[in-house]
Amino acid sequence: MSANAASRPKILTAAFLIGPATFIAALGVIGPMLYLLRYSFNQYDPMELMIETFTLSNYVEFFTSPYYLSAYLTTLRVGLISTVICLVAGFPLAYVLARSGSRFKNLMIIGIVVPLFVGNAVRAAGWMSFLGSRGLLSVTLMKLGFTDGPTDFMYTEGTVIVGIVAVNLPYMVLSLQSVLEGINRNVEEAAFSLGAPPLTMARRVLLPLALPGIAAGTILTFILAMNAYATPVLLGGPSFNMMAPLVYGQFQLNNWPGAAAVAFVLMATTLLLTILVAIITRQKFREG
Amino acid sequence: MAGVKLQGLSKHYGDFQAAEDVTLDIVDGEFLVLLGPSGCGKTTTLRMIAGFIEPTTGTVTIGGADVTRLPPWKRSTGLVFQNYALFPHMTVAQNVAFGLEMHKVPKAEIGSKVATALDLVQLGHLADRYPRQMSGGQQQRVALARALAFQPDVLLLDEPLSNLDAKLRHEVRHQIRSLQQRLGITTVMVTHDQEEALTMADRMVVMKDGRIQQLGTQRELYDDPTSEFVASFVGRSSFIKGRFSGGRFVSHGGLAVETERRLTGEAVVALRPERIHLGADAASDAGNTYRGRVESISYLGSSIDVEVKLNEIDSVIAQVVNKGRDSGASVGDEVSVTFPRDVPVFAASPA
Repeated sequence: MSANAASRPKILTAAFLIGPATFIAALGVIGPMLYLLRYSFNQYDPMELMIETFTLSNYVEFFTSPYYLSAYLTTLRVGLISTVICLVAGFPLAYVLARSGSRFKNLMIIGIVVPLFVGNAVRAAGWMSFLGSRGLLSVTLMKLGFTDGPTDFMYTEGTVIVGIVAVNLPYMVLSLQSVLEGINRNVEEAAFSLGAPPLTMARRVLLPLALPGIAAGTILTFILAMNAYATPVLLGGPSFNMMAPLVYGQFQLNNWPGAAAVAFVLMATTLLLTILVAIITRQKFREG
Repeated sequence: MAGVKLQGLSKHYGDFQAAEDVTLDIVDGEFLVLLGPSGCGKTTTLRMIAGFIEPTTGTVTIGGADVTRLPPWKRSTGLVFQNYALFPHMTVAQNVAFGLEMHKVPKAEIGSKVATALDLVQLGHLADRYPRQMSGGQQQRVALARALAFQPDVLLLDEPLSNLDAKLRHEVRHQIRSLQQRLGITTVMVTHDQEEALTMADRMVVMKDGRIQQLGTQRELYDDPTSEFVASFVGRSSFIKGRFSGGRFVSHGGLAVETERRLTGEAVVALRPERIHLGADAASDAGNTYRGRVESISYLGSSIDVEVKLNEIDSVIAQVVNKGRDSGASVGDEVSVTFPRDVPVFAASPA
C-alpha cells in the first residue's frame, strides 16, 4: 500500500518529464513517417501525380533500376569508408585528448567543436575553393611544378568522402574521448607492467573498454554519413548520386511515392546496420 | 628474484625536483617501504623503478642489469595499485593469466599457474567472477595474484591498502607480508601510513621534498631519528627547542637538559611520549626531571595522553598506561616529569 502510494507521484513526475518530448516526437516524427510510409505504397503517375493504391512497385523499381542501385551502393560505400576513416583517425586524437593533462586541453576540445559551428554547405563551399581547378591546391601544385596545368579535384567520390570525414570527425572524437577519459590510466599501466607493449595493451585493454564509445561514435557518424546532403551535392557534383539528394530529387519531380520509397530504403538500411553494430559491440563487450 | 639498486636517481620537472639523488641498495628478498607525506618523491621513485617515469639522472639496476632506459613492459616488475586497476572486462582468471600470456608462458601451463597464484591469495573459488562482483579487499588480492603470477623479479606496491577500510587493511597487510616472506620476493612499497610501514617493512626509507631523510630498520628510525622531520613523521614526539652553550643544552624556555649527544648551536630534543614519566615514582637520577602543570588530558583507551606545560614555552606530551580509575593526573595538577638522557638530539632545521 505505502509503496504504491509513494510510487504513484513518481510515475506522474516521470510522465510529466518525458511527456512533452514524446508528444512532439509522436506528432512531428512518427506521424509524418507513417504518412510517408503509406505514400511509398502508392503509385506515381506523371499526369495525376499520385494514385492511392497498395503496390510494391516503387520498391521493386528501386532494387531493379541501375540508377537507384548505384546511388544506394555509393551511399553505403561512402558511409562505411568515411566512418572507418573517422574511427581510425579519431581514436588516437581522442586518446591524446583524454589523457592530456595540458592546460591547453580545453582549447584543444574547443578546436574540435568549433567546426561544428560552421554549416555543412558553408564548409563544402570552403572545400570547393580549395579543391577546384583554380583552387589553392591546384595552384600550389602548379607553382611547385608538380603539375603542368590546373587540376580539378572536385566531383569525385574521394572528395565527397574527405568532405564527410571533415564534418563527422568531431562527433567521433567527442564520443570516444568521453569514454576513454573514464578508463583509469592505472589499468593501462598495469598492462604495461605485466609485459604488454603499447599496441598489445591497446588491443587487449583499451579497445575492449572503449567499445561503448566506439559503438556510439560509429553509429553517430555512420548515420550522418548515410544521410549527408549538402556535402555530396556540392562536392560530388551533378552526376554523383547519394540517397539523401536522391530523395529530394524525386520530390522535385513531384514523385512522392518514389521519394518515399527511397527515403524508407535509406532509413531501413541505416537502422539495420546500426542495430548490427550495436549487437556486435554488445557481444564483444560481454565476451571481453 | 633479484635485488634493486638505485644510483643517484633524480627526476626534475623544470625547476621542480620530484626526486633528488635517491640512492638505495635493496637487498634480494627484502621488503623496503618508502614512507613520506604526499609530494615527497616516494611515488616518483617507485614509478622510476617500474619504468613509467624516466629519470633525469641516475640509474636503476634490477638483478644486476641496468634497466634505466627500458620501458615498463620489458622490466620484470609486478605492480599493485591503490585502486586495484584490474581489467574490468576480464574475469579474475583472465586478469591473472594476462601477465603469463604476455610472458609467452605455454597455453597448457597457464591454467595451473593461474590456479596457483589465486590459491596464494585464497581466491581460487572466485576465478570466474568479474572484478565488479568483488569487494575491495578481494580485488586487491586479485591484483596481488596478478602481479605475482608471472614471477617478476620485483614486487612494487603503490599505496596498496589505502582504499581499504580499517579491518580489511589489517587482513590484507598481513597477507601481503606473509606472502612476501614465503616467496622471498624483493618488494618495494610506497605508503604515507607509518603504521603500515612499521609493521610490514624489513627496512624503511623516510623521504621528504624528493630526498631520502633517513634509511633504516623500524627500531633505528623510531629510536634514533636523525632529524626533526623523521622524529615527527615516524611515531610521535614532543620537541623541546633550545641551543647548546658550553656543551649543555638549554631550552628557549630556560630548561637545562642533559643529553648524551652534544652538539653546538641551535638544537632540538625529541621526546617520545612513552619515554616520558610522570609523578613521584620517576627516579630522578635516571635523567632529566622537571616540575610542570597538566594542561590537558586525552583519553585513548589503553593509554592516556597527558600534556604537561613545563614553562611558558616548553611543553611535552606523556603517554601514561591506563591502569583504571585512579590512574594519572587531572588537569591543573602539579606533576614531576622525567625523561632519560639518551634522547635524540639534532641541529634545528633551518626553516
